[in-house]
Amino acid sequence: MEVTQILHMNKGEGETSYAKNCTVQREIITLANSIMEEAVAESVQNTLPQSMGIADLGCSSGPNTLMAVSKIIDTVCKTSSGIVGSTLPELRVSLNDLPGNDFNEVFMSFPGFYETLRKEKGNGPEGGFVSGIPGSFYGRLFARNSMHFVHSSSTLHWLSQVPPSLDMNKGKIYISKTSPPCVVKAYVSQFEKDFFLFLRSRAHEMVAGGRMLLSFMGHISPEASTEVGSHQWELLAQLLLGLIEEDRIDSFNAPYYAPSPQEVRNVIVEEGSFSINHVEAFEVNWDEGSSACSDSACDKCDFEHEKLSRGQRVAITIRAVVESMVESHFGREILDELFRRYGELVDDYFSKTVAKHINLVVSVTRNSE
Amino acid sequence: MSLKREKQTYMLFMLSQKTHDIILMKMDIEKVFQMKGGIGENSYSKNSSLQKRAADKVKHIITAAMEQMYVEKRPNSIGIADLGCSTGPNTLSNIKQLVHTVLLHPHPDPEPEFRVFLNDLPTNDFNTLFQSLPDFYTQLNKHRIYISAYPGSFYGRLFPDHCLHFIYSSNCLHWLSKVPAGIYDEQGFSINKKSIYISERSTQEVSLAYLKQFQHDFSLFLKSRSQELVCGGRMVLILLGRTGSHHADRGNSVFWEIMYRSLSTMVDEGEIDEEKLESYEVHFYAPSKEELEDEVRKEGSFKLDVLEMFENENENDIDADMSYGTAVAKTVRSIQESMLANHFGDSILDKLFQHYATLLDQELAAANDHINSITTVLVLTKL
Repeated sequence: MEVTQILHMNKGEGETSYAKNCTVQREIITLANSIMEEAVAESVQNTLPQSMGIADLGCSSGPNTLMAVSKIIDTVCKTSSGIVGSTLPELRVSLNDLPGNDFNEVFMSFPGFYETLRKEKGNGPEGGFVSGIPGSFYGRLFARNSMHFVHSSSTLHWLSQVPPSLDMNKGKIYISKTSPPCVVKAYVSQFEKDFFLFLRSRAHEMVAGGRMLLSFMGHISPEASTEVGSHQWELLAQLLLGLIEEDRIDSFNAPYYAPSPQEVRNVIVEEGSFSINHVEAFEVNWDEGSSACSDSACDKCDFEHEKLSRGQRVAITIRAVVESMVESHFGREILDELFRRYGELVDDYFSKTVAKHINLVVSVTRNSE
Repeated sequence: MSLKREKQTYMLFMLSQKTHDIILMKMDIEKVFQMKGGIGENSYSKNSSLQKRAADKVKHIITAAMEQMYVEKRPNSIGIADLGCSTGPNTLSNIKQLVHTVLLHPHPDPEPEFRVFLNDLPTNDFNTLFQSLPDFYTQLNKHRIYISAYPGSFYGRLFPDHCLHFIYSSNCLHWLSKVPAGIYDEQGFSINKKSIYISERSTQEVSLAYLKQFQHDFSLFLKSRSQELVCGGRMVLILLGRTGSHHADRGNSVFWEIMYRSLSTMVDEGEIDEEKLESYEVHFYAPSKEELEDEVRKEGSFKLDVLEMFENENENDIDADMSYGTAVAKTVRSIQESMLANHFGDSILDKLFQHYATLLDQELAAANDHINSITTVLVLTKL
């Protein structure tokens, strides 16, 4: 599977779009808010830029896209005004995702974004410029020494490719309790390679003293096959077995890895360009942000969601994210049935467990050369 | 934090005979105007070979300008902008050409990096353009090229201060920021009777209103770019123009006349209301050499190195099975569909462009000479 060509969140604003089904990802951005504020403030204080480069990697499309950068700009303004003799720097905001992302949708929201910021911040008319950067962050995206703050949320668990040599992962699409050690090794190895390249690329692009805040799925128990961190894939594999021939499933594996905090630390130390400020793990409910909502006047919920069970809502959330890969490998025809059954399985799972993900929040500083 | 630009809205009033209601219609250029997206039969991607041909004709001028800039400035991080990049294959092949121009020239090790800034209105189909990027990156993978897209109107600031060494804009600057306000009377009716652009029937008031809008837009364009270019940076602009001071000559105005006649035919056939046609005006201007020079001189940030004008010959090698009229109709449709559909609705488009093709072929046959649009190319240096 050519990940960079295939992987994208579901486009548009339909029922199964990412735009209408990204509450969990929004909650994840929010939970890192205080760490982010501190990191942004420090990046301004460390570097005192005249022109500040801010990047969001894996921006996707939909209501979350401008959320993080709005918060970042907010904090930059506050911090700047608190520094004696300092003026608000020129802001260069870059939103990155793979070329297959729905950038048209992102760009249509720019004029409104500029308008809001002008009113709220009262920035000078030429104070800030927002751009879209299509490309893979496993590799260079920006010019040397151009970035002061880099943010990425709910993206770095996606690998650059499916790890090679996964033939032994029979009937499974990710690491599972029955996966042989070589499968786990292959995933860990791919993660290490990718994350190292990610860090090395950002190291060239960031100024000394610049900060980076990364938020992505992880696992905290000793085993990578632990239920918390892999069960959503386990359920998907189970369902596919009921719908597709096993050998077709054997040839499909998720280009995904949810690392442990130690695995993350190891790569950061090995790459050597960054000092670690925080590596924290947070629990996130599978339906974080949407389960509590029963208010029919709530404008965050799509009206349709109220008619769905918790499990079905989770199923659509997962569908919005993985559909592109599943469709490319197995075709369109199975999608509706697959995710309908997925919703049922999740409802069943919810009746037995409080289903959680682990989300890692990693904050680092770019060292001086 | 927004760009300092003027809001481009204008009001169209339509008086309905039956109800005498005044219906207000706004066309916000930035929300409506776009080249036809995608890669289908009628897309700009598949119907922009005429634009490519014009750009190819001036390739040597573009290459020379890029080379001169590089020789003078020797930047190790080169900022290149394409304003009005649209969707199609022309954009990325231009970038490749510019990159190769520099790299073929003796340069230090490590070789320069290229920061590429692509701009078009937010309505542009960037998704289609980006689909070609994976292959583009693969072809140029030994070089350091960083591509970014900045959606917005180029009548105003787009890019950070002094980040660019080379700006390129092809077949865009004849599109104004809006239809000139001066062609509407106090009630909001167009004073440009029986025309959609400056024609033989237009008054001097109309052509003055268009000129004024062009002057305002072009000087704002120049001012904005002057803050984004480094000193010694180069700008190459390619746009439609006119050779004489008179507007309704051969050249570009013929194509607008044909469009007007096509729409009139639809009125005669009962497909379009006459009031609708009377209220349709285009946000276009084909400046003369003097008008361009005047603005450059007045704005004062640039030196004009080159100004050449040439006819776009109507070599119809696009498709041997297609008449010239049909080929041009397809190209025009991919450009103007959004503005026409916004005003007249989608359903009239097929028939409209059939009329257009026929009328253009007839005009060509009757004229016994070529009907060629005029292209102007300018090379400017930032002082």
